[in-house]
Amino acid sequence: MARPMPDAPPVTMADRATGASILESVAQVAFVAHCLLNQNAKVDGGARCPGVYSPLVEVLRERGWELEQMPCPELAFTGLNRFWAVREQLDTLAYRRHCARIASAVAGAVAARVARGDEVVLIGLEGSPSMGVRVTSSDPARGGRPEWPDGAPELTPGRGILVEELLAELERRGVPAPRAGGVTHVLPGHDPAVERDALLAVLDG
Amino acid sequence: MEGDARGSRIALVAAELVNPPPGGLDALGVLDAAGWGVMQLPAAWYDDEVAAPLLEQIAEQVDEFARHGYDIVQVGDRAGLAEALAALGHEPPPAIHAPRDAAELQAFLQSRPTTAPR
Repeated sequence: MARPMPDAPPVTMADRATGASILESVAQVAFVAHCLLNQNAKVDGGARCPGVYSPLVEVLRERGWELEQMPCPELAFTGLNRFWAVREQLDTLAYRRHCARIASAVAGAVAARVARGDEVVLIGLEGSPSMGVRVTSSDPARGGRPEWPDGAPELTPGRGILVEELLAELERRGVPAPRAGGVTHVLPGHDPAVERDALLAVLDG
Repeated sequence: MEGDARGSRIALVAAELVNPPPGGLDALGVLDAAGWGVMQLPAAWYDDEVAAPLLEQIAEQVDEFARHGYDIVQVGDRAGLAEALAALGHEPPPAIHAPRDAAELQAFLQSRPTTAPR
């Protein structure tokens, strides 16, 4: 359900920004997981808001960071009707090739940014089998009829598949790996204040 | 399908309207307030070599959303988008190419029919 239109005009980036102008020659650019600007890409049952995950946008804009959205690897590969999945279900040769194609496209943009002196960070989605930066999901036994108990301990330290492919592609191109962190709103015990502090730590280096 | 908070509405948005200059139209803010998701188009200054693979990915994702009946619009322009969509058999979505201000963009969004995703 979309939120109603506000009576007042929305706050502009200029209103929010407290740092330097983004038009200065060196920009700060956050490459963000697709779903953080478009919750419609989420697996069914996973969208936390109608469209944009505002807490991330607010943190980035407060610090003067531009946004650059990465493609969602799962949306185009397994579609909107996909099941919730762990890494082992997605980690096939075909999915790796799909992620490598996306990683090449994103790495091209990262390289273009780095070449002109922009500062780049990567913001993923913790707990995601594709976009996790420090937390992904794993369950080697999961498969077959898609029923499993709530609270199954699939969360595990590690990176998602697209994040792995992207960092590998950047290394192949000789582009330094950007600082990276992730939004945590899908993790149990999610604390918005802790998420915000962790994002600020990534942005501030 | 259990449903969730998604708005089932998506705007393809020029990068310069996602990251506007000071005082510029904050399309991302307008779309967020209206409950639309955003698919950001490649920055205008990217070479074709950089932009084309990104546009190809965007077109593939548009195809999946369109297949399920999501409402898709375009806010701003990006060279190469129409060609990327056409390669998958899609016409460009309804568009507002150069919204003058937030009110004009809001009016455009409000003019869209209610969606019924499948």
